[in-house]
Amino acid sequence: MIRKGLAGGSYQPLTEESIAKIDQTVMAVVEEVGFEVNSEKALQLFEKAGARVDREERRVRLPQAKAMELIGTAPPEVRLCGQEEKHDVLLGGNRVYTGTGGTALYIYEPASKQTRPATLEDLKRIARLVNRLDNIHLFMLPTYPNELPIEQIDANRFFAGLDNTTKHIMGGVYTLDGIKQVLRMAEIAAGSAEKLLKRPLISMIACSISPLKMDANYGDLVIEIAKRGIPLVCPAEPLCGATSPVTLAGNLVIQTADSLMGVMLTQIVKPGTPVIFGSVATNTDLRDLKYLAGSVEMGMLNAAGAQMAQFYHLPFYATGGMTDSKVLDAQSGYESAISNLLCALAGANFIHDAAGMMDFALTACYEKFVIDNEILGMVMRAVDGIKVNDDTLAFDLIKEVGPGGNFVAAKHTRRFMRREHYQPSLSDRNSREKWEARGGKATWQTAGEIVKRLIAEHKYQLPTAVRQDILSEIKGIVD
Amino acid sequence: MTEDIISLIRENVIQGRVTQDDEGLDEGLVGRPGVTELIEKALAKRLDVRDIINKGLTEAMNLVGQKFEQKEYYIPDMLASAEAVGVAMEILGPYLARSGIKPKGKVLLATVKGDLHDIGKNIVMILLRGAGYTVKDLGNDMEPQSIVNAVREENPQFLGLSALLTSTMVNMRDTIQALEESGLRDKVKVVIGGAPVSEEYAKSIGADGYGSDGFQALAVIESLTST
Repeated sequence: MIRKGLAGGSYQPLTEESIAKIDQTVMAVVEEVGFEVNSEKALQLFEKAGARVDREERRVRLPQAKAMELIGTAPPEVRLCGQEEKHDVLLGGNRVYTGTGGTALYIYEPASKQTRPATLEDLKRIARLVNRLDNIHLFMLPTYPNELPIEQIDANRFFAGLDNTTKHIMGGVYTLDGIKQVLRMAEIAAGSAEKLLKRPLISMIACSISPLKMDANYGDLVIEIAKRGIPLVCPAEPLCGATSPVTLAGNLVIQTADSLMGVMLTQIVKPGTPVIFGSVATNTDLRDLKYLAGSVEMGMLNAAGAQMAQFYHLPFYATGGMTDSKVLDAQSGYESAISNLLCALAGANFIHDAAGMMDFALTACYEKFVIDNEILGMVMRAVDGIKVNDDTLAFDLIKEVGPGGNFVAAKHTRRFMRREHYQPSLSDRNSREKWEARGGKATWQTAGEIVKRLIAEHKYQLPTAVRQDILSEIKGIVD
Repeated sequence: MTEDIISLIRENVIQGRVTQDDEGLDEGLVGRPGVTELIEKALAKRLDVRDIINKGLTEAMNLVGQKFEQKEYYIPDMLASAEAVGVAMEILGPYLARSGIKPKGKVLLATVKGDLHDIGKNIVMILLRGAGYTVKDLGNDMEPQSIVNAVREENPQFLGLSALLTSTMVNMRDTIQALEESGLRDKVKVVIGGAPVSEEYAKSIGADGYGSDGFQALAVIESLTST
């Protein structure tokens, strides 16, 4: 059975009082400190919407009431659609979904322990792989095709996704022209512009610069995407002690304010346009200021982010599931598991980066997608919780079996065993003898065999006619 | 029509449905005839008992075995299917001789002296019944002499001994010795099993076979049956 969209919320690192205090501080920052906005269009829009704008400093300050009004027009739920309806997800509330993340520059190959630059072909193969991994619900374009010039990146990345998986495609975007190509491509795939609005097969991400700064390009991207009504994620990436206060609470203030700045801009452009509040918050190694992707604090910050999103009634994009390890070892496993688990139990709507990423998010790894798929299966089982009712308490059965009996042959066992217990797709549960007889393989080796099997079947996911239309209309796609 | 009933028997063995009240594995089966009802129907229609057994029950259990190997089925699934076949064989019992089918043989099972663990033994019992053997369960904590007496009275082809503890497995050896002393050792094949037991241990105490799990136990007894 596939578990997705289940309600989380059993892990709450913030009390109600803490949430209220963070909100008050965020609102004070928005009103008194404000944002530096370097996009002229965005500056004008904020001004028209009633913000106090200091032209000299390019500083935008919003009264609390105005800010809350803008946040209030954002929809509390956002539907992201796949080419197949079974892959649709409804972000909002405390429902939990998982997905890949990006954007890695390298591919790690565990057999040789080497990394190499990622190519377009890697992106296609990873899309094919993730299409078959059931515990990964969304496909965010995870790698950067290093061989292509920047003007071909956006169209090729989204085409690689749409053509190799029927799961929803989300991706970062690099150029304004690229966005236009991608949107046109998605319209062709959906059937028309109207159909794309009804069933958004793609969504985009535009990241602000923490702390409290909107760069010119980012502002323009946000405005363009919001105008078109395509779901947009506005995440912020504050790092404790570097681009935010070192404290987790201080980090949460910056992350919330920065992400809300993006949310507010989309609502000024087009009230009600689908937007997702997002966090890539983490800490940093204060010996060299490296961005950390596998720390426990990252899991806690993103779990707390989920609570803040629930407080503002906004769908949430969290970051979890990565590791800073360079190889597929114990560190890789425990770091990925801990942050995924914390985010999921907090009810984070979309945990991105949940599979395949390592090495400070610089590197992706085929085998790790399979390993993380297993972690996510276990995590979703934990989210599912323990159901207590007369059937599961099984008093009648206990009475029937009695002292010294067993439950192996009971119908009740068969009825519940598959639902109640996660069925692993990777983990080794053989006896030592059997495991040795089967080659004594480590997890990454078994994962490698699964990768081979799953990407062997190749099929274009776009219908032939649609595929042809896209290839003839959108220039620069490498087929 | 004949094929229909037999293929329904096969499907219901795979689903592990003894009667029409059983739910099986797939949704929506409750209320449809189970193996009991189907076997009775097959007999009423005077279908060949050999066809019922070979094309219905045995073929179904082979498919169940494959599902188990492919990790689609768990032990409780296997047991449900084996139980369905066991019940079918019980109903078919009186017809076997008339159809010229030789019974597969009788097996006595016991957990040895000092040991009260019987899950493994009970699983073996269900699997053996599902494979068409007549099985008598002697129970737990069985003195060697009680087992010898039972062998004398029941005259089985096989004796299965079970132990979970390293402290009680030695009583398997004592039981085999008691059989020898009473002159019954060559009348019965002894197969042992249980967590602490091994192939080597089986040889060292003079047992005829060893099953590392229920399915192995069945396989060993099947192979000793044909020799």
